[in-house]
Formats: sequence, structure tokens, C-alpha cells
Amino acid sequence: MNSYYAANLLVYAGVDIIALLALNLQFGVSGIVNFSFIVFQAVGAYTAAVLSMPPDTTFGYEFQVYFGGYHLPFPIPWIGGAIAGGFLAIPVGLVVLRKLRSDYQAIALLVLSIITNEVITNARPFLNGAAGLALVPQPLSDVIDPNTETYQYFYVAITAVCVVLVFVVANRIVNSPYGRSLRAMREREIAAIAIGKNPVQLKMTVFIVGGVIAGLSGAILVGFIQLWAPSVWLYPETIILFAAIIVGGRGNNVGAILGALLVPVGFEEVTRFIPSSFGPPGLIPALQWVAIGLLIIGFLWFRPEGVRPEPRHVFEGAPVREDLEDARAS
Amino acid sequence: MDLYVAAFGFGLVGMSVIAIAAVGFTMQFGITNMINLAYGEVMISSAYVAYYVNKAGITIWVGMIAGALFGAVFSFLLNRFVYAPFQRKGTSHIGMVIVSLAVSLMIANLLLPIVGYYSVSYQDTTGGLLRAGGIVLTTNQIAIIGVAVVLMLLIHGLLRYTRLGKAMRATAANPTLARNCGIPTQRVIDSVWLITGALCGLAGVVAAMDSDSFAISNGAGFLITALAAAVLGGAGQPYGAMIGAVIIGMITELSAAAWAPEYKEVVAFGILVLVMVLRPQGLLSKRGALAAAG
Repeated sequence: MNSYYAANLLVYAGVDIIALLALNLQFGVSGIVNFSFIVFQAVGAYTAAVLSMPPDTTFGYEFQVYFGGYHLPFPIPWIGGAIAGGFLAIPVGLVVLRKLRSDYQAIALLVLSIITNEVITNARPFLNGAAGLALVPQPLSDVIDPNTETYQYFYVAITAVCVVLVFVVANRIVNSPYGRSLRAMREREIAAIAIGKNPVQLKMTVFIVGGVIAGLSGAILVGFIQLWAPSVWLYPETIILFAAIIVGGRGNNVGAILGALLVPVGFEEVTRFIPSSFGPPGLIPALQWVAIGLLIIGFLWFRPEGVRPEPRHVFEGAPVREDLEDARAS
Repeated sequence: MDLYVAAFGFGLVGMSVIAIAAVGFTMQFGITNMINLAYGEVMISSAYVAYYVNKAGITIWVGMIAGALFGAVFSFLLNRFVYAPFQRKGTSHIGMVIVSLAVSLMIANLLLPIVGYYSVSYQDTTGGLLRAGGIVLTTNQIAIIGVAVVLMLLIHGLLRYTRLGKAMRATAANPTLARNCGIPTQRVIDSVWLITGALCGLAGVVAAMDSDSFAISNGAGFLITALAAAVLGGAGQPYGAMIGAVIIGMITELSAAAWAPEYKEVVAFGILVLVMVLRPQGLLSKRGALAAAG
């Protein structure tokens, strides 16, 4: 195992953890089925890319077309990516989250994800179409030489800082009164309205917060892999993240991290070592997707609460559900 | 101007294809309360069944029947072994949507190693050209319109004038009450999956005939247009889906003539967004997207 592989694995793990903490806030804690999550990551990545790249007339960059090209220093592109993710959440949320029933919300977001990808793929002048953006400059590459082992670990370190930051914020949200309102809304929206909560406002804020974090995760990833094309953010990528949340355990941040380590990182790393000469070309990646589907269906059937179930918040002196059932039975 | 007249002709074909798909989709949702996101993938699977029948030298019209039979059996089994057990278990609406999305992913990727990435097309004579006042259509396209009209009349007859149709409407309105009135809801739901599955399979073959070539990746596009028509008409309303199909089919073809053909699905999506903002319950439904799930 060389250091490049290790750094690669760690950065991917960090990006997946950040993304899953955001998706857990939306889907796990608040019950918003954001099937277009990957779009928010993609928008963050594109924004970070065009903020850090030089204009497309620069020597060496003329083979691609894109708008922007501001060549801004780190960390502005990352912050820009996060803000872009949050800004995208506002119009999408206003259309989808205000009136629609929850299953319609899910469908609308799924369709949005498919269509956005199609538009970006076909509209070349905007973000270079299907070919995507390449040669995205790495953060601080003018200070540290990116081709060194030191830089790899430097990147792992700044990713780790972001992971910790996001984890702390997500934990604060989940354990705050606001987080309790979100859970109340997820469990029974009408009851939440009855005690004076505004579900549209709750959903909108968590949708924007999730968008910001998703944008950040995309920005981190694009700075590391240096290229971004529509083919890497197709809607099935979101399904992997949902599989991770379902496997890890909905509604708790530790479960989200566990899911990140088990599904996008663990599962894909393990299956990477299956020799690709096995079967016709494309068989192994296809079977990986089938396995992701089986993982979701299997967990929803046998263990819908996931590997690490959400802890039940019980307050001292409050009657627990089992006690009530016992009392009713006797 | 001639361009738009020709596009109007294509719109007639497009709306026929969408109507078959959307009516099947909306009936599944209305009667069995299941948003089946694997619908597009079942369509494309059926199109491939017809492709292999056609490849063996048999005419595509026989292939169409084979596709319809495959769609019926496949949808029936899908419900029997995946959806119905989850519904009995009390999985939430959202849980069911996620299950069907996982199923859709699995179908597409099980199909991929069998049929490959490349686009294929049916080998058949497209028939002669028919002209009527600027509209030019092949006899196959006329036949597609004919098939759609006959199917819509059959669905209308089924829902209005047969005992099964009455039982279906009762099951859609209130399954518990229907069961208590002595309607065998289990058998009704089985027959709904068979009928809508046949529509789904037929729609897949017809959609594949209408586009010159097709590949697995078309499944998502098929789903989006069917969804857009169903939601526009009011989810769960077969007649609404027919109206939705007429509107979406015509607008997408006219926009393809006016703008760019690769954005047909984008236009369908635009209509979907407008409906969701302005009239989420759809044209014909009182309830639709607004009411609480369940």
C-alpha cells in the first residue's frame, strides 16, 4: 500500500463522511428524501473549480470552455462551493418542499437530478458539456508542490479539519431544540404543526444547511481529483449515499459515519479487488450496482433501523413505550 | 410553418406512446398505492424482449405482444415478491419509493451485461409514407396511434362497464371497505399489476419503435415522460393521464421543432415543475399531491 493510495482512500472517506452527515440531516433527521443530493455536491464542485481555475483563454486551458475562471486563492473556492450549494437549495426547496406530499418531493428531486445532468452534458459552452472540467488547480499548490507525499498528507489533514468541523456542527444541530423539532416533524408532521412548529421553515433551513455541506464536500473532492464531469454525478451516486444511511442507521451522526465507512468506502474498496477479467466487460461494475440495490432492500427488510439504530431520547421520569404497553396489557 | 405541421404529426405519435405508458403508471399508483420508479426499466426490458423476438426474424408486431406479456408477468412478479411483502410489513410511502428505486437500479444493471451498452433498433420495414396536408407519417406510426386509441377505449370500457373495473375503482377508493364488501382485493390487485404491466411492456416496445434506436439508458427518460403526464393529469387518474399525455406529447414535439430535439425531456420536466408549483394536485384530481400520504 503506497502513500498515494492511502491518501486517496482517506480523502474519499472524508468526502463521503461529510456528504453523509449532510444527507443524514436531511433524510435521517428530517425525513426529506433528497434524491438530487449529488446535484448539490456537483454544484459545489463546479463552483470551486471555476473559482480556482484561470480563465479559459489561458495557455494550457484553451481546450475547454467554461464561464468564470477567477483563479482565486484557497480557501475562497471551497467557501464558494459551499455557498453555491446553499444557494441552489433555496429555489429547489421553494418549489419542492412547500406544498408537495413527501413521496412527490422524492420524485421531483429524482427527476431534477436526471434532468440537470442531461442539461449540463448537452450544454457545452456553459461547463464544457460531457467532457467536464479538467486541470482544476489543487489548493495551495503554489506553496507546496502537489506531487510530493507531504502534499498528499496535507490534503488529508485539511479534509480531516473539515470533517471535524462538519461533525461538530451536525451534532450541535441534532442535539439542539431545533434538532428535536426536526425529529418531531419527521415522526408526525401534523403533531409538530399542532405544537406550533412551522414545517416548511424547518425543512427549508435544513435543506439549505445540507446544501452548504454537500457543496463543501464536492469542493474538497474536485480539488483533489482535479477533474469533474457529468458522468461522475449521475443519480445512482445518490442511491449509494442512501444505501449508506440505511445501512449505518438513520437519524444519528455516528450511524452516518459508520455508513460512509461501510458502503462507499468499504464496499467499493473490497469489490475493487475482484479481477475485472472475470466475465464480459462491464459485468463487475454492473454487479456492484446490483449489490447496492440488494443492500438497500435487504436492510429495509431485515434491519430497517440500520447497524447503529438512532438512540431513543428518553427523559428522566417520562414513561417509556414498553412501560406503557405493560400497563395497558395488565 | 411546414416544420410545425410535421411536428404536429409527430406529436400525435408521441402522445400515443406517452398515453399508453402514463395510463399504466397512474393506475399502478391509484389502485395499489405504489409509486413504481422501476416502471421505466420494465419498459426498456420489454423493448429488449421484443428486440430479440424481432431479431429471430419474426415481425415486430408479434414482438410487441411478447413485450406486453413479458411486462405483465415481470410486473406481477415484482409486486408479488418485492412490493407486496414490503407493503404488508407496513413500510412507509417513502420506504416504498426507495425500494422501487433500488429495484430500478438492479434491473438496469442486471440487463446491462446481457444486452450491452450499445444502441439497437428493430429490423423492420417502416412501411410506406402517408401524407395528409403536410403531415407525413409512416404506416408504422399510424399503427402506433391506432394501438393507443384501441387501448384507451379498452381501458375506458374496463373501468366503466366491467365488474373487475368496478372492483378496481372500489379498491382504489378504500381497500379495507372494498374487502369488507366481499371484493377479493388481493386478486384485484394482482390483475391490476398484470394489466398495467402489459401496458408498460407495450409502451416500452412502442416507445422503442418511435425512437429510431434505443439503449438501456433510455429507461430514465421513459420514466420521466410517463411521470410528467401522470402528475399533470392528477396522479392515480387514468383519464387525467390521457389528457396529460396529449399535452406533454404535443408540447415536447413542437418544442423539438422550435428548439432542439435533445431537450424534449427537459421540456417535459419544465411542465412537471410548473404543475407542481401551480397545481400540485394535477388537472383532474382533488387530492393528488397535496394530501398527506397514506
